[in-house]
Amino acid sequence: MASRLRPRLLLALSLLLAACAPAPGASESSATASPSSPSATPEAATSYPLTLTDDAGREVTIAADPERIASLAPSNTEIACALGSCDQLVGVTDYDDYPPEVADVEKVVVFAQVDVEKVVAAEPDLVLAAGNELTPTAVIDQLSDLGMTVVVLYPESLDEVYANVELLGVALDEQAAATELVDGMRARVQAAEEAVAGAERPRTFYEVSIFEGTIYTAGEGSFIASLIETAGGEPITGGALSTSIALEDLVAADPELILLGDAAYDPTVTAESVAARPGWGEMTAVRDGRIQPMLEDPLITRPGPRIVDGLEALARAIQPDRFD
Amino acid sequence: MSVVVRAESLATVEDVWFAYPLPDNGRREVLRGLNLHLLRGELVALVGTNGSGKTTLLRLLAGVLRPDTGIIRFDGRALGDWRRLDLARRVTVLPQQLDLPVGFRVAELVEMGRAPHAQRLFGATQADERAVARALADADALDLAHRYGDELSGGERQRVLVAMALAQEPTLLLMDEPTLHLDLAHQVAVLATIRRLRAQRGLTVLAVLHDLNLAAAFAPRIVVLDDGGVGADGPPDEVLTPALVERVFGVTVDEARLEDGSRHLALRL
Amino acid sequence: MRAAAAPSVTTRPLIGGPTLTRAALVLGGGTLLLGVVVVVAVAMGSVGVGLGDTAAILGRRLLGLPLTESWAPSAETIIFELRLPRVLTAMLVGGGLALAGTVFQALLRNPLADPYVIGTAAGASLGAVLGIVAPLLLPGLAIGAASAWLGLGIVQLLAFVGGLGTVLLVYAVARGTGGTPVVTLLLVGYAISSILAAGIALLMFASGRALGAIFGWLMGSLTGASWVDLAFAAPLLALSFIFLLARWRRLNVLLLGDAQASHLGVEVEREKLGLTMLATLATSAAVAISGTIGFVGLVVPHLLRLVIGPDHRLLLPASLLFGAALLVVADLGARLAGGIPVGIITALIGAPFFIWLLRRSRAIRPVPSP
Repeated sequence: MASRLRPRLLLALSLLLAACAPAPGASESSATASPSSPSATPEAATSYPLTLTDDAGREVTIAADPERIASLAPSNTEIACALGSCDQLVGVTDYDDYPPEVADVEKVVVFAQVDVEKVVAAEPDLVLAAGNELTPTAVIDQLSDLGMTVVVLYPESLDEVYANVELLGVALDEQAAATELVDGMRARVQAAEEAVAGAERPRTFYEVSIFEGTIYTAGEGSFIASLIETAGGEPITGGALSTSIALEDLVAADPELILLGDAAYDPTVTAESVAARPGWGEMTAVRDGRIQPMLEDPLITRPGPRIVDGLEALARAIQPDRFD
Repeated sequence: MSVVVRAESLATVEDVWFAYPLPDNGRREVLRGLNLHLLRGELVALVGTNGSGKTTLLRLLAGVLRPDTGIIRFDGRALGDWRRLDLARRVTVLPQQLDLPVGFRVAELVEMGRAPHAQRLFGATQADERAVARALADADALDLAHRYGDELSGGERQRVLVAMALAQEPTLLLMDEPTLHLDLAHQVAVLATIRRLRAQRGLTVLAVLHDLNLAAAFAPRIVVLDDGGVGADGPPDEVLTPALVERVFGVTVDEARLEDGSRHLALRL
Repeated sequence: MRAAAAPSVTTRPLIGGPTLTRAALVLGGGTLLLGVVVVVAVAMGSVGVGLGDTAAILGRRLLGLPLTESWAPSAETIIFELRLPRVLTAMLVGGGLALAGTVFQALLRNPLADPYVIGTAAGASLGAVLGIVAPLLLPGLAIGAASAWLGLGIVQLLAFVGGLGTVLLVYAVARGTGGTPVVTLLLVGYAISSILAAGIALLMFASGRALGAIFGWLMGSLTGASWVDLAFAAPLLALSFIFLLARWRRLNVLLLGDAQASHLGVEVEREKLGLTMLATLATSAAVAISGTIGFVGLVVPHLLRLVIGPDHRLLLPASLLFGAALLVVADLGARLAGGIPVGIITALIGAPFFIWLLRRSRAIRPVPSP
């Protein structure tokens, strides 16, 4: 019974996770830090022990300025490095490719599986996990039970990315760098918003992947959908409960622009191959030839500092006239 | 008189009615007020047409089925008052058909007949060993002891089933067509063995048989089931008359007297 | 082995079960094998901890030997908090599933029966999925408090209750149709499993971010094994094993069929219910702490029957030992292969061996045609 469900589930799952979909009623909580010293100000040095609430709603106490950090998600790695803590990383994932210096760090997540033994062996004093089961809850619980300090980061909007950066800024005692980083991100986002302001907003469909006729896209209210909106598009989503969209719903929604996130990983997904798919020819985007591979997909789906690069790429794809 | 009968009775069936429930909530009546007394040490053949309730009667006597009304006693006690296990130590059924499970040796299968007598958690007692050895010897199955049960021929299987039943050391042995699927030589051999054992062990035997001549040769008492009750009961000479055979089985037979004075029924087609 | 024993007709006692040497060979060999694979599995992993350090850590923590710490503190955590509970969990789960599979195959007289066959898997899965989803939908559930009191995750608790409850339900429904012949039991089990599977699928569809956790559970995994889980499952399995072993004779007799078992003094219906619940107890305890791991419960009993014969007095303890050893080895393989689901490994090492054995045993002793 259950075994018969499995192969299909495996596929669906990997695609869903790739879509970075939020759940209905997903937490809007941005993580908050409440330094134990009441006199702490944003620019001040952090005083330890520090108690903070992470994106999973867990209260975590960091005893001292972390010196050994294990990052279980590429976005966490990028934030830590952007805050100047790259040389404190003692564990990263095998997906990590930025910044280049993390290539030499021990891989404690392999094939999306956390190798708990390796995490323990790395002897980190801070573990940065991901939410939404990207780091399984069971693993988070296990690491916590072993006495490790685990902070879960799972931003689902630009504001939550800022909040995560600031949170890590406090946690790593890099508050000045965090403020500077967030300010820089905000400025670039604002510039992009201004560039696309007032423009006609094309109905934009972002293809995360397609498998056996099932089309996976951004869920309603998901990070990708909000980025498309910020970038001057009107996202076509799979509804609140689903990250997939039926072809007939897609045809009815009639996208004016199709962005191919999967083209970044699959060279056979091209504007031509999409136009040739049965049933797709009727869409305005296909007729107008507005199908565009998004090779920046890793930036768009990785909620780290470079998400702004992803946003800018989206804005250029959606509103090319505004970036001449 | 009745006191004497009771003292000798091993099992009594008193005004027993039994019906099988049918899927449409109806009932198929099989036994209608059947009465039967089995005396200790008796050898009785049970005959009757298909569906006359022979197997049902065996299952009732074994306590596997319960009568709708009426009462069956074993050793003077109502069957319903016997513990399943206590009954199994005294009453054995040699089934018509039994699929021997794969992978057991004959000795191990015969040892299963000791299950109701089991004393030890894991091993076997000396009594068990004696009973198994004697059962194998009595059933003429010693040479099969180390063979696998699923490798035997039909005749060998039947000897093993007899040995399994004997290992149970019953007082009452119920046999359901023990000669089915056997060739003539094996039929005679099995029945001769049973007769010998009855004498040696003081067994009481009730055997369902389908061949009337075999039944007549085998048992000094024949019970004919007919119309849900006992149609005739007595020595073969008195019971197996052409008239009765025609009435019960609906076939015409000729009667032949053999040289030794016994009677033989010959089918007329 | 049967083939080797066949010629020794004169020396072999008629009855009394396996000879002492034979039992010692099978059970002693199984214990030794299990011991070796447990040590190897604890010593090996993605992080290298030397064999000497491994032995020293175990000696200090388990036997209280006064050894000085020459190893990193993380090594001790890895050996004692990660690997040892995981290996012991694999042992428990493998043994429990093989034991339950042996019982179900005898009880249902069906070679395709496995521990999950009459609804345990579906029930436990639904329970686990509920346990994963419920806290997201209804925080602060009373059952959370109950499971916390037991020191057990809500998922494990509901999986256990779901597995046990489903089998009771299947039994009750099958009984309502008049008696519980094997076919009725299997069909009702299938029907109820299907209903529960629909419930699982629905919950998965609506589970949002919990989907990953649900999926991981359904795949069956020993990741996250802990001493608490072990403390929950071990007594249940021990209880199940002891009571099942005490019933070996009735299990053997049931192989003769219901009617004959009844003639041999077995209260067939009551006995079958008891055996089913005991086997389900072992299954549910195993599933609660590991998810639904396939294959072990199906194949280990067959394997052992081919090698040591069908007598349950040897088969039950042997299935416990060899099922345990198989899953420990399989889980080691799964760990070394980067954490792939252990079911893949059990199938990969078990199935070819099984086919080889089937072919070999056919050559020794052809199955006679009736």
